[in-house]
Amino acid sequence: MPTFKLDGKTIPFEPGDSIIKAAERQGVEIPHYCWHPGLSSPANCRMCLVELVPKPGQRPMMLDVLELDEATGQYRPAQKPKLQPACYTPAAEGLEVLSDTSPHVTQARHDVQERLLLNHPVDCPICDQSGECKLQDYWLEHDKSGKRMRDEPVHKSKGVEFGPTIVYDGERCVMCTRCIRFMAEVAKDPVLDMRERGNLNEITVGPGRQLDGHYTFMTEHVCPVGALTTKDFRFKARVWFLRTAASLCQGCATGCNAHLDYDPRYNKAYRFRPRDNEQVNKYWMCDEGMLSYREAHDGRVLEASVRGKPASVSEALAAAKDLFAGVAKESVAIVLGAQHSLEDNWALRELGTVLMDSRHVYVSGRPDGYEDTILVHRDKNSNTQGVKTLAPGARPLSALLGDVASGAVTHVIALGGAAPVDAGDLEDAKLVVVAAHEGPLTKLATVVLPATSWAEHAGTYVNARGLKQVAEAALEPLGSSRTAWSLVAALASALGYQPSWSKLRQIRAQLTAPTAADAPAAAALAE
Amino acid sequence: MLKRTDYLTRTYGKPEGWKLAAYEREYGGYQVAKRLLTTMSREQVVDEAKKANIRGRGGAGFPMGVKWSFMPKVVGAKPHYLVVNADEGEPGTHKDRTLMELNPHAVVEGCIIACYAIGAHVAYIYVRDELHLSKTRLWGAISEAKARGFLGKAPFGKDWEVEVYVHSGAGAYICGEETSMLNSIEGRRGEPRMKPPFPANAGAFGCPTTVNNLETIASVPAAFGLGCDEWSKLSALHTIGDGGVRLYGINGHVKKPGVVELAVGPTFNELIHDIGGGVLGDKAIMCVIPGGSSTPVLRPSETVNAPDPKSPMHPHHGKSVFDVPLGVETMRQCGTMLGTCCVTVIAEGTDPVWCMQNLMQFYGHESCGQCTPCREGSAWLHLVCTKLLDGEATKEELDSLHDIANGIMGNTICAFGEGTAMPALAFLQKFRPEFEAYVKGARKRADAKLTVEPWS
Repeated sequence: MPTFKLDGKTIPFEPGDSIIKAAERQGVEIPHYCWHPGLSSPANCRMCLVELVPKPGQRPMMLDVLELDEATGQYRPAQKPKLQPACYTPAAEGLEVLSDTSPHVTQARHDVQERLLLNHPVDCPICDQSGECKLQDYWLEHDKSGKRMRDEPVHKSKGVEFGPTIVYDGERCVMCTRCIRFMAEVAKDPVLDMRERGNLNEITVGPGRQLDGHYTFMTEHVCPVGALTTKDFRFKARVWFLRTAASLCQGCATGCNAHLDYDPRYNKAYRFRPRDNEQVNKYWMCDEGMLSYREAHDGRVLEASVRGKPASVSEALAAAKDLFAGVAKESVAIVLGAQHSLEDNWALRELGTVLMDSRHVYVSGRPDGYEDTILVHRDKNSNTQGVKTLAPGARPLSALLGDVASGAVTHVIALGGAAPVDAGDLEDAKLVVVAAHEGPLTKLATVVLPATSWAEHAGTYVNARGLKQVAEAALEPLGSSRTAWSLVAALASALGYQPSWSKLRQIRAQLTAPTAADAPAAAALAE
Repeated sequence: MLKRTDYLTRTYGKPEGWKLAAYEREYGGYQVAKRLLTTMSREQVVDEAKKANIRGRGGAGFPMGVKWSFMPKVVGAKPHYLVVNADEGEPGTHKDRTLMELNPHAVVEGCIIACYAIGAHVAYIYVRDELHLSKTRLWGAISEAKARGFLGKAPFGKDWEVEVYVHSGAGAYICGEETSMLNSIEGRRGEPRMKPPFPANAGAFGCPTTVNNLETIASVPAAFGLGCDEWSKLSALHTIGDGGVRLYGINGHVKKPGVVELAVGPTFNELIHDIGGGVLGDKAIMCVIPGGSSTPVLRPSETVNAPDPKSPMHPHHGKSVFDVPLGVETMRQCGTMLGTCCVTVIAEGTDPVWCMQNLMQFYGHESCGQCTPCREGSAWLHLVCTKLLDGEATKEELDSLHDIANGIMGNTICAFGEGTAMPALAFLQKFRPEFEAYVKGARKRADAKLTVEPWS
């Protein structure tokens, strides 16, 4: 692999890499605002300027500037080298780049940082970006000087509603154009642009349009400062109180890697942010996915119930025992849940096909929905592929409806409340549902057991492309919920069987150990 | 040495000089283009053009023939374009406008030759929005040429289609920068692009493009008409690669401002006194802006320092910069730029702080705002200069001015940054006592002047 030198350190690069990209891959950050690994490089923030050491025999390009001699009050001519943006300059074999070690680069970074804050309101105490703002980070790293301009800053539009989800503050904006480029290059909807010129510049939405569609939240996420905020998150939390878990979006079968930010003090999830994974979602997530963090709290089954009435888990288990008393094994069916993890589904499969020796295995989940060619998958379940690997012969829920109608099946144990079709006919069956979220099946069930959601337990999911990924737990279990696999074990005991599992690692050992290639998420976790 | 010529300006002042009839009467009318297209190959035209030593007339002074030779030798899948820069937004510059208004056929003929040389079939003349008469005259010349078959499918029977279009700008100075001009032509926001790729590789619509100043293009028929070698030798500076004749503008505090065609190589003193008729009110000269407000000012007291006999400037060693022939290289050696050759004379009694504030107001207003140092820096310079004038600036703010300009210099995407920083630094360096006087309260805005009175 070819290499170049950055501050004396050898940096390998792939052909086509810019200096900044190659350095980032080696964990060396060159400060930047406008550059984003998933977008084009406009080189407009000028924060990543670096000095290129001229090759032997080559004359450096020097620029005439002035220095002030404080003692005499006279200017004296000086020279400085022409710096180059690291985000735009391609890495080349043998190139010698000075970044942190060049006084000219240090000066340029200081200058850019000072200019960016010149007309910035510095309203950090009331800004949602505070705590995760590049302006704050780089000021501490590269500026640390007081404001020299003591005059009224330029005023621009504030609180502009770009659309149903995003609010824009022109005064905080650093004009990096990441949002414009994201909409044009990734979302393929060039709805944002710049208006005015000079230091009156601001981002604007195309005439007659608003910022809408399926990728508006990403504009906020790529914004390095507090100019763009989402109506969903603004004024809700201070980021330094939040902890984050390496999670997975549960909205569809794409399996986007996400950070689930939560406040441990309130055991509450606040937002999803994309977690970079080149193999799955790159740097992006869709709006529906970003908002699906709400499902950690919304529509949850938090208490057990028997025939629609609240009950304790032990009462519900006793009711299930009564319900299944004396039933013939040929009449029992299990319904695996495409929204639950591999571990949960493994436990139910074990109960159904091994302990109860049932032949009736089905799978249920949410119905298909909107899809696009960017990220959104038609299948709205996070683990359809995982269920397929566990139970390749599992039949769709519609088949169960037929079997119940014909009397072949009388008793059903289901994982998850969702159903892709109208499941009203299941009324005739004796139904026990273990579910994290309410759905058609929990409404029909005689006994409902409250399971933890993906946010409260670690679980493995297989996305549409067959990639096995692990989501970390973020929250403590809500309400009376317990992990679905442990509820299934308790159910097995209640029904008079001996479950072979009592710990998560026992189940994981049974599942095929994920190989390195299976788990790029693990690499992303290291972040 | 002052040598008046009329290679570009023969139709100036003639009745209906902008019409084809006048162009045919005075120049023979498109005979040069006809000869080139029918008897010479593309490569021959480019090689010949290099001999003319035409330095780009837009300000950067890049040799025209060399620029043409950067275009791909073979026209590939992507068409080639010629873009003629007639945005002419630089304060104090008004030479291209006279060509468009008074000799538009020279431009059109130049376009035909340049298109042929660089392998293009389409030329866009990008004219500044405000120049309505220029646009009308250019369109008139194009339709006349088209009616005679000089433009179109087969000019002069040669199978080389050439179409020329006039494209109106929208009044932004930055669109005179070649890459933002290309963005503007494409219908995008007029913001400069990063280089590389250079326009010769990926210009208008991502295709190979040559961007030439309008006067450069208008000089082409005259240069080939005379013979490129002969043309180059008209200049006093042809030995240092600066050939031919060009339009010199003289404005500011002179008695007879105007545009005049001279062989390359007059001095400031010749321009000011022989062409401009001397300074208004016969005052002394405080400084001159060599050409286009982006160039650093020169004071009459400055002298050339080139003791090395090998230096091309050695013949002028010890002389006042006002007695040095005006050329691209000579002005660079004097620490400034020739730029567009439209000299602005500023007489003694004018307030240099107000001059700088005036320029900074322009640059602050015209910055496209794409990159940080220029967007914030140019407006900041304007702010501090205004405070200085109003007597509100502190010593610290005065001492920050050069630092603000240094932070712009070289750190921007396009040359607008240098165009702002260079004049600012030059004013500071050469007029520091006047700036300090404002901080001390010894000078006041109420007494400051940008004009000279009495008018002579």
